[in-house]
Amino acid sequence: MGLGQYLPIFVMLVLALVFGAMSRVASHILAPRLSTVAKTDPYECGIDASQEPPERFPVTFYLVAMIFIVFDIEIIFMFPYAAVFSDLGVFGFVAVAIFAFALFESFVYLIGNGAMEWGPARKAKPEALVSPERTAATTIRRVGTEGRPAAAATVADRTPVPTEAA
Amino acid sequence: MPEAVLLGGEQTTTAVEWVVFIIAATTTLLGSFGVIMARNPVHAALSLVGSLFSVAVLFLNQGAEFLAAVQVIVYTGAIVILILFVLMLLGIDTEEDLEDEPLRGQMPVAVGIGVLLTASVFALTQLVGFDVVTGTPEVTAAIRDDMPNINQIGRLLFTDFVVATQLAGVMLTVAVVGAVVMARRPREYQPIPEPESMDAPLSLDPTDQGADNGAEVAD
Amino acid sequence: MSLLVTGSAIVAQQGDPLLFDVDLTAVGIVVGKVLVIFAFLLVATMFMVWFERKLISDMQNRIGPNLAGPFGILQTLADGIKFFFKEDLIPDRAQRRVFILAPFLSFVPAFLLFVVIPFGGDFNDGNAGVVTIFGRETFLQVADPPIGVLFILAMSSLAVYGAMLAGWSSGSKYPLLGSVRQSAQMISYEAAMGLAIIAVVVKTGSLSTHDIVVTQAGEGLGGILPNWGVLLTLGVPFVIFVIAATAELNRPPFDLVEAEQELVGGFHTEYSSIRFALFFLAEFMNTVTMSAIFVTLFLGGPAGPVLFGPGWLWGIIWFALKVFVFLFMFVWFRATLPRLRYDQLMDLGWKVLIPLSLGWILLLVALDLAQDQNWNLFAVGIGAAVVFFCAAMLLRAAVRSGQATRHTLEVPD
Repeated sequence: MGLGQYLPIFVMLVLALVFGAMSRVASHILAPRLSTVAKTDPYECGIDASQEPPERFPVTFYLVAMIFIVFDIEIIFMFPYAAVFSDLGVFGFVAVAIFAFALFESFVYLIGNGAMEWGPARKAKPEALVSPERTAATTIRRVGTEGRPAAAATVADRTPVPTEAA
Repeated sequence: MPEAVLLGGEQTTTAVEWVVFIIAATTTLLGSFGVIMARNPVHAALSLVGSLFSVAVLFLNQGAEFLAAVQVIVYTGAIVILILFVLMLLGIDTEEDLEDEPLRGQMPVAVGIGVLLTASVFALTQLVGFDVVTGTPEVTAAIRDDMPNINQIGRLLFTDFVVATQLAGVMLTVAVVGAVVMARRPREYQPIPEPESMDAPLSLDPTDQGADNGAEVAD
Repeated sequence: MSLLVTGSAIVAQQGDPLLFDVDLTAVGIVVGKVLVIFAFLLVATMFMVWFERKLISDMQNRIGPNLAGPFGILQTLADGIKFFFKEDLIPDRAQRRVFILAPFLSFVPAFLLFVVIPFGGDFNDGNAGVVTIFGRETFLQVADPPIGVLFILAMSSLAVYGAMLAGWSSGSKYPLLGSVRQSAQMISYEAAMGLAIIAVVVKTGSLSTHDIVVTQAGEGLGGILPNWGVLLTLGVPFVIFVIAATAELNRPPFDLVEAEQELVGGFHTEYSSIRFALFFLAEFMNTVTMSAIFVTLFLGGPAGPVLFGPGWLWGIIWFALKVFVFLFMFVWFRATLPRLRYDQLMDLGWKVLIPLSLGWILLLVALDLAQDQNWNLFAVGIGAAVVFFCAAMLLRAAVRSGQATRHTLEVPD
């Protein structure tokens, strides 16, 4: 029936795809091809890539996607309601309010469990850390050891780990 | 499809609708095959996007505009994004080893269920008629042409099917609780095994690189 | 089909009258309109890039591009042409097919988004923006599907894929980090954006962008104020939409995705030549389109008084002026506001904008119902305030509890 309304969208889609393809072809013809190993390496400001890309991300990202689905579906339910709400009267309002409340409640539960906390965990620091302090033997500050657990740092640093009082 | 459907009558399938149907149905099937054939999970997810998008076009073809939009917004815009997130979060973006079967005997069961489903669809075409199952315009046409289908859906959702709507809300709540329980940090700290690349402890000695050396120096 | 098409008739019919019985003339007009909009988008994008550079320069006491053409206005064109002559690199570690596909997923939705925007026509005296081209009635709008605003949401949800897959397929760490950030950010603010749009739908009663403009073209409060969405929805959804749209566009102060200091170029770090240009094009085109969406939803679209001459032309003029205001706003944001931190960004989206917009929709509905049922508006206001307060307190307690849960975790030595 109303498929005609989507004809312009289809025409625009075709036009956009043609535009993209033409640009690619033009670039293919005009651009030089002088590829070297350095050019096709992962970008690392000019030095060899020293670390693989991270393989794991915080689980919070997963929770965001999950709660987004919930809200997306809620939005989908609200759109038809918003279009006809004046015909539905008080009954419809109560129904949509209960629906919204159910979702708000799950949202509160989610936030209450710290699922949306992105900031640094304040107390996550272990007590004994190697602090980059100067000692009597050397004035060189040991850069890069800050915030690391003492065990890992002692690999390079045989000096006793300063206690938390230091 | 019987000839009578193609010709005459008020709500018939036009030639344009036929062409759209054939193209969209083909891409739906191709996308679905891509999902199960692709060795790379991300490629499989992308095939799923293509498949779902084609289903949205099929909805449009039936005049179900609201459903088409929902299909794109919820399925491709949210659910496949979640799938991609999981793939990225777990880092299983490498090729899948098809020899390694996590669930023993799932293949025969899957084939069995597939055959059963196909058979039931055919049985339906025989029992209730071909038109109902295939959704030709005579049976699935809009009830009222002068009213956008979103208004009709809104009316139905919040009057006749209000219980179902509320149940959907409850189900979403359950889903959120499930996600939080699964993702919650344990009260007791349990060290997670580090991925291989991060095994090497940080070493400040330039001559001392790699995991093996680091362990020795620590002794 | 009747020649005199009024606003209410359109609502019943849903859609551009031109497209009900499509014939050769109709197809010709459609293709013509699409071509015009296509060209307009490219030119507007070029203009926007130049405008942003020039305005930022002015705000920073610099001159900016001034060599190519008068006032440097051809600078973008020169840059664009240069992209064709640049080497096109695909990194060794890239997932080739997805890497090639990603720019298309980014710029095709950008082109499609503008299709549902009404950009001209006379909306005065119940004209409903109908113009006659070659004896056929049509809207100055490429397409008017009955689900127009859902189409906007659908396209912006598709746009997430471009950046997400570009980052993933590059096989490099900065793009991957950028794309994970970006997809989480975009879906977060998409929810807020959707809820802000619902507020407009509550007041206009239609999802068709054309009908939304027709409603806003009517007489407003006291016959002096315009009947614009920003006033109908009492302002708050507009502010939410401004914030959400800026985040959705990844423009400053929400441009964490391409925070140069942390992530080099973000998701398109590994892209070069025309592939990069397509991402760049999509970004600025989305800025133009988003401004047009603002105008459509909140500022009455092309509706405005006709001073002299043809009405449809004034529609285009009003539309262009209003869009320009938002383009200026985006550049101003960039020049003024410092970038947010990621946790601040997510907190703002989830803990402020989404609950607030959800509550605001219910408030608008309640106020409307109160008018219908002749309830005491004052009592409804008090009730709403109590509900808002309770919800805010509950949310605050939840945030506190959430922080406590996270921060009590101890990492052993």
